[in-house]
Amino acid sequence: MQHLNEETLVAHYYHDDDAPPAAEEHLRVCGACRAQCETIRRVLALVDEAPVPDRGEQYGEQVWNRLRWKLGRERRTGVRWQTLAAAAALVAIAFFGGQLWHARNTAPSQGPLPAGGDRVAEARVRGAGGDAATSPDRILLVVVGDHLDMSERMLVELANADPKKSLDISSQQRRAVDLVASNRIYRQTAAQRGDERIASVLSDLEPVLVELSHAGSSLTPEEVSALQKRIDAKGLLFKVRVVSAQGGRAEQQRTAPIDSNSL
Amino acid sequence: MEQTTDVATVSRARQGDPEAFRQLVERHSKPIFRVAYRMTGNEHDADDVVQETLLRAYRQLEQFEERANFGTWLHRIAVNCSLDLLRSRGRHDKHYAGDTSDEQLQGEITAADPQPDRLLLSVELQQHVTAALERLSGNERTAFILRHFDGMPVEEIGRTLGIQVNAAKHTIFRAVRKLREALEPFVRSTQCNT
Repeated sequence: MQHLNEETLVAHYYHDDDAPPAAEEHLRVCGACRAQCETIRRVLALVDEAPVPDRGEQYGEQVWNRLRWKLGRERRTGVRWQTLAAAAALVAIAFFGGQLWHARNTAPSQGPLPAGGDRVAEARVRGAGGDAATSPDRILLVVVGDHLDMSERMLVELANADPKKSLDISSQQRRAVDLVASNRIYRQTAAQRGDERIASVLSDLEPVLVELSHAGSSLTPEEVSALQKRIDAKGLLFKVRVVSAQGGRAEQQRTAPIDSNSL
Repeated sequence: MEQTTDVATVSRARQGDPEAFRQLVERHSKPIFRVAYRMTGNEHDADDVVQETLLRAYRQLEQFEERANFGTWLHRIAVNCSLDLLRSRGRHDKHYAGDTSDEQLQGEITAADPQPDRLLLSVELQQHVTAALERLSGNERTAFILRHFDGMPVEEIGRTLGIQVNAAKHTIFRAVRKLREALEPFVRSTQCNT
């Protein structure tokens, strides 16, 4: 009589064996295999006793207290999704309006600079113009930082997805549609301002966002894998994080107390 | 009863009611912790998994089908979060670092009460079981936990781990064999009465 091997006994225990009636019949007549089977059952009964630390009655409340600030940030971010396109349009209008205003006001001084104190005054005017131009730069960096922050979260979700499984992206897809529109405006604005670094990151980001916005509600494992490779190959996540972090610093400067020179 | 309560609470949470989501967090944190602890074998990691699971659930609340069981849905997310954590730490295919050798385990048992019923209750025995689980590789532990504690079908375990069904079955067997090697001295070897 051929005994059941240990693997078959384990499979039988979990009802995963290929021929349960045959195994059952063998166990009925074979004392040795029955003993093996009983040992496995007892060992696994011991495992059932493996302790799980008791987190106490207040655990749920403690988890909520740690979680709620994160959820608050999520909700705020959710609101930002809807306002992002509007903010992008405002930045673009402000920027192009500023350019137009600057061109009109500096047109008469395009000739040779006057001598002496007038030359200094002209330099100040031009300097003031330069300061005025710096402000939209900072605003651009802040708003782009926000945009990149949201894009980064989407990229992280994609990068962490299991490439062997389909991925439901219905919620990301809706976000991607908004982000594509914003991304185009920011990219064009950055390019026209000569900020090649931001323009380049946005340019790398755009095809990924476009692909996501055009995808269905889920990605096949092949699509997930292809997107992950694209994100990885361009070091996109890293670039996005760097510029996003700079946006954060710019925002801190923007919200810092106003210095006397700006008054 | 809990399922009925969850349906109404989830519905309110989906409409943006933070109080409703708070109730879900308080109701489900402990069960999620149990899953996470069994998967990760570490309290702090399990706490992290609880947070991440609930955060993901919040983000994906729109995707939850109300006919489904909310607890089961959270359980799946917790399993995935635990796997992500293990993978991110490169522990998934490595052995857990148990600090008790088989010789130590068996040496200690010779001094213990030989009655299984009493042993079952002892703290030492629980420690041995914990140590035996820690000695499984990440894949073995995950496959075993999902099959033994969660009753997940082998096919689904295979999909979860990205391996074939037969490989999943064999992984469960390897886990049981290792557990048996470590814990057999603690059980009485008698014949099956079934």
